[in-house]
Formats: sequence, structure tokens, C-alpha cells
Amino acid sequence: MSTPQKALKNGLSSCLSCHQLIILPARGGRCRCPRCDSRVHGRIDGSLMLTWALTITGVLLLLPANVLPIMSVIYLGAGEPSTIISGVMQLYNSGMWGIALVVFVASIAVPVMKLLGLVLLLVQIQLRLHFVPSQAMKIYRVVSGIGRWSLLDLFMISILVALVDMGFIAQVAAGPGSTAFASVVVVTMMAARSFDPRLIWDAYDGDLYATAVEPETAHRGAAENG
Amino acid sequence: MDQLRNKKPVPWQRACHECDLLLTGGLAPAGQKLVCPRCRCTLHRNGNHSVYYTIALSLTGLFLFIPSASLPLLKFSIFSFGAENTLLNGVYSLYKAGFIWLASLVLFCSVLAPLGKFLLLLFICCGSAWRVLDRAVANAVRWYQHIKEWGMLDVYMLGILVALIKLRDLGKMDVEPGLYCFGAMMVLANLSSLSFDQHAIWQRMAQRPTRPEAAT
Repeated sequence: MSTPQKALKNGLSSCLSCHQLIILPARGGRCRCPRCDSRVHGRIDGSLMLTWALTITGVLLLLPANVLPIMSVIYLGAGEPSTIISGVMQLYNSGMWGIALVVFVASIAVPVMKLLGLVLLLVQIQLRLHFVPSQAMKIYRVVSGIGRWSLLDLFMISILVALVDMGFIAQVAAGPGSTAFASVVVVTMMAARSFDPRLIWDAYDGDLYATAVEPETAHRGAAENG
Repeated sequence: MDQLRNKKPVPWQRACHECDLLLTGGLAPAGQKLVCPRCRCTLHRNGNHSVYYTIALSLTGLFLFIPSASLPLLKFSIFSFGAENTLLNGVYSLYKAGFIWLASLVLFCSVLAPLGKFLLLLFICCGSAWRVLDRAVANAVRWYQHIKEWGMLDVYMLGILVALIKLRDLGKMDVEPGLYCFGAMMVLANLSSLSFDQHAIWQRMAQRPTRPEAAT
């Protein structure tokens, strides 16, 4: 009794939405939660593959997001488009290093750290490296918790675009980089959602891709059904 | 496997949703929280009077939504030219400039998702009193879990502050009454999602007198 028991090995699973403990059906290991009607699976289907796909998309999108201008402030007919980094530098140069730090953390550090964290988790699990699961869980929680803060820059752009709209005197226009940046944020948030932290513990226990049903039981289930 | 099959069934109550550890204790005692012994994730936080607090907070939030969506938040002026910012006209300007994807994302995260969260919480907490609404409440709880992390009023608030400081040397910036309502709404949004405890809802639904006909 002292060894920790895993739900999936016992044919049980927790509903991710309402946390009800559910007996998984013998075959397939997939059903609907009787209480809240959301899909229940032993592990999220294709979690690693989906997370990889979204993470790689995020990395690719990060390039245009940082290279293309996210907005341009035109003051008295003059003004150049600014990228995320140049916006931070501008704030820093005008002496507002506190705000510069906030913007830097939210729009550069957070997306990069998030993608790095996801890649680290995925690599750890797939290569079965030696890792401390409690540390991996910390990475997972940080990754899934901080993502939303990177939308800060986009909200700021939407506020500036509405506020500074005086024709020739001053105008703020959003740039193509902001679309890419918005996609980075959405894609990384979805990647964090599709990652199943229970796989960390599966990899730690040494039974990755653990199935709810042992081969013999599966066979028996098939015989009963057929 | 043999060992597992011969064992007497253990009354498992719950599996940790982050590490899949089976636990015999299901719910936290009143006023405390239940933490997974293996991965330290919070499994259940049992606040006092969760249902009533959530009703009160989300109702107040809904009322505050009206002024904060209709009143201007900020006012910016250069010389005699001025422009105001409301929750919606930033979205509209982006949409007009052709940034449809950006506009819809900002609209969803700063208006629709927070509004949806308030409405769903109110519906869940009030609706759980009637048996007719059982199915609808269960669906609402599921939807709430989906849109929960997309309500970003606090991030928007920080965006306002950054915009306020960024435009300081370009022209004159005024804080309008809408911003105070918005700030209060942000606090209420966070408080209501903190006080919401879905297990209290499930318990409330389960503790009603049973149906006359047996459950199928």
C-alpha cells in the first residue's frame, strides 16, 4: 500500500474538467464524464505530438513577431515603425526602466521562456532523461500560468490605436508583427493546454505510453465484445 | 497485475489531475485546501459559503460591466485634439485598420471571456438550485473551465498602465471614470473565480432530495 498507485493502471481516470474519478471502459479507455459530459481519456490523446506541433509553430512564429514592426507612432508626419525590442529600448532610453522591464518580461522573456520550457519538458519525457519530476512540474506550472501575460503588448496596441488617432498630428498604427505575436501567444497557450502533466510522472515511473488495459485484459474484453 | 487483481478494492475517492496519483481523501475540510502529496498541486480549495460569495461577486461584476464597457477609460489630447478609449473602440479601430484576427482576439480576451465568466458563474451558482437545469449547469461548468484562462482583465489593466506611461510625454493623458469601474471589475473577476468551488456545486446538486424514479 505504501507504493503510490496510479489511476490509469487501475483502470481509473480523473475527469480533467470536474475532477470526478471515473472507471474507464475496458477497451479504448475513453468515455464521457457522467457528471459534466466532457471527454475523459486516460491521457490526453496525442498530447506529446500536439504539444510538439504547437511549440514548433510558436517558435517559427516568434521570428516574424520579433522582426516585423508591431506598431508605428507617427507624430507630425514623422515616425518610424517599432518592433517589440525597439519599443522596450525606447522606454528604457527615456528613463522608464521599470515599465521597460515589465514590457520586456511580458513580451520577450515570457514567450521565449515558455517555448523553452515546453521543449525541455517534451525532450525530458521523450528521451527519458533523468529528471526530478517535482522540478518538471514546477516548469509546467510556470509555463501554463504565465502565458496570458504576454498579451499585454497587444492590449496596449489596441488602446494606443484608439487613443492616438488625430490624423496628421499623431497616429498610431498596428503593424504586421502584432498579428504574428498574437498568434505566438495563442499557440503557446494552446500548447500548454494540450500538454498532459501526467506524462511527466509516467516517464518518471518508467512506463511511458502506459495503457489502461494490460494485453491479456484487452484480449478478454475483445472476446466479450465480439 | 496478479497482485492488483487479488487485492481488495480500495475506496479511491479521487485521482490527482496533474500526476494521476490515486487518493482516498476526496474533499478538503471547510476552510482548508487539499494538496496532492506527490506533486503539490492544489486539488480542492474549500472556501466558506462559496456558492453565495460567488453569486454576490459575479452579480456585482456584471453590474460594473455596464459602466466600464460604456464609459471611456482614458482620454488623450494633444493641443485641442482629443480622443477617448473605451473597451470596445480599440477593438473597432483595429478592425477598421484590417487587423481582424488581432481585433477578435482582443475582443474575446477583454470583453467576451470576462463577461462570459461572470454570466456562467452566476448561472452555475443560481441554476444549481433547480433540478431542471442540471444538464445545463453541468455544461456551463465545462464551458467555464474552457474559457477561464482567456479572461484577461488584469492583463488589460496592466496594458492601460503601460499605455498611460508611454503616452505621457506625447500629450495630455486623463483618467476617466470608466477606468475606476474597470479596475473594480477586474478585482471582482479575480475574486469571483477564486471563490468559485465547483465541488460545492456538485455537492449542492447531489444533496437535493432524490428523484422519485430510480436513476438510470
